[in-house]
Amino acid sequence: MSDPVSRPAMPQAGRSLMSRVLPLVGALLVFALIPALLAHFGKGYFYQIANLALIFVLLAASLHVVTGVAGLLHLGHAAFYGVGAYTAGLLASHFDTTFVLTIPAAAVVTAAIAFLVALPTMRLVSIYFAVATLAIGQMIYLVLLNWVSFTNGPNGVLLFGGLSVFGIDLSSPTATYFVVALVVVASLVVIHRISHSYYGNALRSLREDDQCADAMGVRTVAMKMQAFVISAAFAGVAGALWAHTTGYIAPPDFDFAESILILSMIVVGGLGSLPGAIIGALLLILLPEFLRPLGDVRNIMVGCVLFFSILLLPRGLFGEVSALALVRRQLGDAWTTDAKGRGVGWR
Amino acid sequence: MIDPYYLQQLVIGLSLGMTYALMAIGFTLIFGVLNVVNFAHGEVYTIGAFASLVLITAFAPPFFLVVLFALLVGALAGFSLERIAFKPFRRFTDEASLKSRAMREATLMSSLAVSIIVRELIELVFGSQQQQVPFEYLINDPIHVGPVVITTGDVIIFVVSVAMLVGLQFLLTRTHVGLSIRAVSNNPLGARYVGINVDRTIIMTFVIGGMMGAAAGILVGLYYGVIFPAMGFVPGIKAFVAMVMGGLSSIPGAVICAIILGLSESIAVTFISSGWADIVAYSFLILTLIFFPQGLFGAKRERV
Repeated sequence: MSDPVSRPAMPQAGRSLMSRVLPLVGALLVFALIPALLAHFGKGYFYQIANLALIFVLLAASLHVVTGVAGLLHLGHAAFYGVGAYTAGLLASHFDTTFVLTIPAAAVVTAAIAFLVALPTMRLVSIYFAVATLAIGQMIYLVLLNWVSFTNGPNGVLLFGGLSVFGIDLSSPTATYFVVALVVVASLVVIHRISHSYYGNALRSLREDDQCADAMGVRTVAMKMQAFVISAAFAGVAGALWAHTTGYIAPPDFDFAESILILSMIVVGGLGSLPGAIIGALLLILLPEFLRPLGDVRNIMVGCVLFFSILLLPRGLFGEVSALALVRRQLGDAWTTDAKGRGVGWR
Repeated sequence: MIDPYYLQQLVIGLSLGMTYALMAIGFTLIFGVLNVVNFAHGEVYTIGAFASLVLITAFAPPFFLVVLFALLVGALAGFSLERIAFKPFRRFTDEASLKSRAMREATLMSSLAVSIIVRELIELVFGSQQQQVPFEYLINDPIHVGPVVITTGDVIIFVVSVAMLVGLQFLLTRTHVGLSIRAVSNNPLGARYVGINVDRTIIMTFVIGGMMGAAAGILVGLYYGVIFPAMGFVPGIKAFVAMVMGGLSSIPGAVICAIILGLSESIAVTFISSGWADIVAYSFLILTLIFFPQGLFGAKRERV
């Protein structure tokens, strides 16, 4: 087939110029330029937006693993985000646990719940899987909302005191921003390593044709479950970060609309592309903030962005294939061998 | 002799189930023909309710005209929805696009996007708070039947649902339009080869489905007395659950399952708090998907 779309996309191995320079530029941007800009503005509000944007970048990246790479349409992602946030929030408010412990705890608890969810649902195909995840997301949301004695119900959970590590106070906006940025960037590196590896390619084979992959010896159900659990663990990390940065969590932050927002991010950005997920998340978080002067129209704008990106850019703004095409234009054919005689496209 | 309290709960459950069924009929019709989930069906329901509310506050027409107007608005909404959110995604017919998962699920996403836009527009125009329906239009005058109280709304909703169901069955099995709808739902390409205008049939399906959705919206709005922009979400989900339980393309199956759902929820309310009652529907959905992959009344279809 001549159309490059239908070719299963082989991600680049991490040793070309492009894949070295881009993350470096991104990290510089995140750790130097944005804090400098925020310090210039000097308002807590801008820090809050920056933190929110970073957290949603992580959420979109985690959904990218399961929906973009493994091809499972997941409509309940915000519920796992909520589980992570509540794990961290309840630990911090009841036992005064520091975030160094609550973040791994949130990841583990969320992963465990995702595993339990995945056990019965993972054999469902396409739209039925989507509906099952929608239902499970709503069930988790109802538990957060109605189990008043445990989660404090609609009143939400308040976290007192800012971030601190081993007695060092990190509750200033700049310090909090750096903590969030560090965790998010570290998670992005891990997600990148997962999705751009031999393992990631196996997940892509599930997306393209899971029966075929099954016939070739890929353990489809187990691999889908792994992708689901990994994705949920990172959503849990994002939830813990959210709980610690805002200091207040409530069930409406984790309902169906949020799941759709996260899904919209990766669709707008381009399914299957990590840069696309990041760009989509930044776009859909920052656009409403920039449109705030327009008032109530901003949610409509978000809907329009989603609609027109599906209509006009079916592969998203920075889809997997266009990202690869860019790399190829810059560096020649990514599938030819590199200087050491190794194929860079495969493995 | 059953305790009148439980009898009353059963009646409430039955009427709740009928409101879900009203919604599920149009929903199932569209899914059955196109095999795509129309997430904007809840918004058609909301549009029907709001348009009728505007008519009521402006002209105060008789009840019959309100319903007729809702049907008209629903037809228009169904038509525009098909044109905006579904037609553009049927332009790809080559094999690569049909096999691509992103293409198959594009209509789901586009109907979601349209539903977001519509809901936000309604919120922009009317505000997000609940709108009160004028008192004289409410259809909840009590009727005492033995120890149980039913309302006029229960009767009206029951009659309308049955009429819709019978009318739809007549349309689908006895008329030419219905024949083409069934042909398209069975095999779109084959229907095209035998000379059926597939596009027109799909629009027809959306118009009928939209009419039923909008009628459901105004009837439920008048029944409960409040109308608000997010009102379509929960019935939409419940209709979806009923459709999956009923076996997807079976409209009578969806109606029966909607009633089962309503009954179970109202019985559940007596044992657990009402906040938890929604969990019944979601558990039913999961259990159906796992244990009855064909649905309770459905034809064979690969889902697992």
